[in-house]
Amino acid sequence: MASVLSVENLKKSYGQLEAVKGVSFEVGHGEIFALIGPNGAGKTTTLRIVATLLTPSGGKVTLQGHDLKTQPEKIREDISYLPEEAGAYRNMKGQDYLKFMAGFYSEDPAKTAEYLKRAEDICGLGPRLKDKVGTYSKGMVRKLLLGRALMTKPAMSILDEPTSGLDVINSLEVREIIRGFAGEGISVLLSSHNMLEIEFLSDRVALIDKGVILDSGTPAGLKEKYKANNLETVFRSALR
Amino acid sequence: MKKFTHLLVKEIRELVTKQLIFSLVFTMALFYFIGNVMKSEVKKAIGKQTIAVLDQDGSELSKSLIGTLQMGNYVPKAISAATPEEAIAAVRAGTENVLLVIPQGFGESVSALSPKPIETYAFIRSFSMIGIRRSEVLKGIISAMNSYVSDEYIKKRLPDADPKRLKNPIPIREFVSIQDRRAEVSASAIAGFISTQTMMIPIILMMIIIYASQMVISAIAMEKQNKTLETLLTVPISRTSIVTAKMLASGLVGLLSAVFYMVGYRYFMTGITGDFQAASGVGPIVKELGLSLSGSSLIVLGASLFMAILCALAMATILGVLAEDFRSAQSLIMPVILLVMIPYFLTLFSDPKTLSLPAKVLLMAIPFSHSFLAVQNMFLGEYKNVIFGMLYMAAFFTVLVILAGRIFSSDKVLTMKLRWGKKKVVL
Repeated sequence: MASVLSVENLKKSYGQLEAVKGVSFEVGHGEIFALIGPNGAGKTTTLRIVATLLTPSGGKVTLQGHDLKTQPEKIREDISYLPEEAGAYRNMKGQDYLKFMAGFYSEDPAKTAEYLKRAEDICGLGPRLKDKVGTYSKGMVRKLLLGRALMTKPAMSILDEPTSGLDVINSLEVREIIRGFAGEGISVLLSSHNMLEIEFLSDRVALIDKGVILDSGTPAGLKEKYKANNLETVFRSALR
Repeated sequence: MKKFTHLLVKEIRELVTKQLIFSLVFTMALFYFIGNVMKSEVKKAIGKQTIAVLDQDGSELSKSLIGTLQMGNYVPKAISAATPEEAIAAVRAGTENVLLVIPQGFGESVSALSPKPIETYAFIRSFSMIGIRRSEVLKGIISAMNSYVSDEYIKKRLPDADPKRLKNPIPIREFVSIQDRRAEVSASAIAGFISTQTMMIPIILMMIIIYASQMVISAIAMEKQNKTLETLLTVPISRTSIVTAKMLASGLVGLLSAVFYMVGYRYFMTGITGDFQAASGVGPIVKELGLSLSGSSLIVLGASLFMAILCALAMATILGVLAEDFRSAQSLIMPVILLVMIPYFLTLFSDPKTLSLPAKVLLMAIPFSHSFLAVQNMFLGEYKNVIFGMLYMAAFFTVLVILAGRIFSSDKVLTMKLRWGKKKVVL
């Protein structure tokens, strides 16, 4: 599988605090790669670096052959990022928000219309898209943002806790959407606390703690390696 | 460029809310209403004043005195009363604000060079500016009466003499000189006229700076509070464009707000000062002295004001990054307000040339000072100072924009916060 994202010996420090201490992994075309770990493990920092929000203290990140340090603008054309606590402009209508975001990826009206159609299909908000975002529930906002993140079919979608705050039904729907888009060739880098979600979604998983990747592999491979029934047990065993 | 316009339109739409439009229209309507009320009140105050007169003397002199008042700006209204107390009661129940009581035997006492006192009663019916001004009419009445009586004395004793010459034996001609221009006018009249004509400029500047800065800081703070900034920073548009779009949108909306406010404010001020200015008649002399702004001067002044606004916006952008949410953004405007207020008051109450060196350095280091001083410098023909000020502001703006661009291109846009408790910037 051709590599879309390559992360080599990635480091990030905030003063004395080392948040990421030499993380390396690759994500292939159409692959869903997940980082799992406890709070403060370095998952979100890694995702934010790949999303060009933070600059690494060391190491190398390349996406579609573009270097993160020297070509962040090129990388932004190929990614979409969904932060854990993302929001949308409360005074905008849902469809206006999608149109506004689509405007950064295409100046062609036909292409923009195509993006909007896809976003509407993904988020499934129907006529509520004509309402202001300020009137949406948390789940509706999350679906809108997911629609925004996937509408342009980016080379790499970076999803931080994609089902955060969603109820069971909404979470299932979102997982189905992500799975479906991976099938269309979009690579996904995601992080989650939810081991069941990771097991359902991911092609490969990296176990991360205290800024270091402890182990990585397919969910099935890891379970076999650690002789565990689920990823939670795998993670506990890896920590030991 | 299309992406930038796309973002700029969004920023403007975010700022121009129904609440803002309502607030602007309401404020302008309020100023318009108050201005109209003030205009009619001022007209009444500077128009003919009716004064109640109880003439207990009925002599030729008292009648002449009342006639003199008639020639002035007063309309005497005779009160029929037996005693001053009755007259006071009558006036109190009426609408006149001044009562003049000429005592019995007044004419004879003046002839005997031992005049009996004339009593004046001011009925203060409100403590508003206009109300107090009405009661001040008394001063004019007393002055007119004294002038009349003293003229009569002089005419009686020295029939060949001109009373005016005797009362003011040294004639004075007042001239004002500015650069190589000179005109016969009193310095206080010129100063008064100029201050009413130019007082709007610093007020306009202050309002735009504070408005626009508040908008930039709030716009960035709201992006942080609503968790939209992170997403915006990952879309394919340069960080400089994001910064510029926010600054430009805030500048435009700030300018629009200021125009609304100033139109209303101007109407309000015209209500108070308009007729007084027309009455002073110094307008043509001011032009003769070169104290009016030509077309090119106005362009230079506009450029100077624009530079000051740009400096404020760049400063506000950096301050906005420090804001964690909308609430903290409200307090972050304080440094900008302080930097506007210091030069405003220093230039209003003192001459920058006579300030102590540290005060002068402080004043000149604040970019907005140069715009506050621009009109003064142009009136005095000191265009070099105006140009220097603009160059200084351009340099100040460039440094701040580079700094803002760097902050937005780095982690600091997400990690820099001002922690009031610890009083330090945490990176």
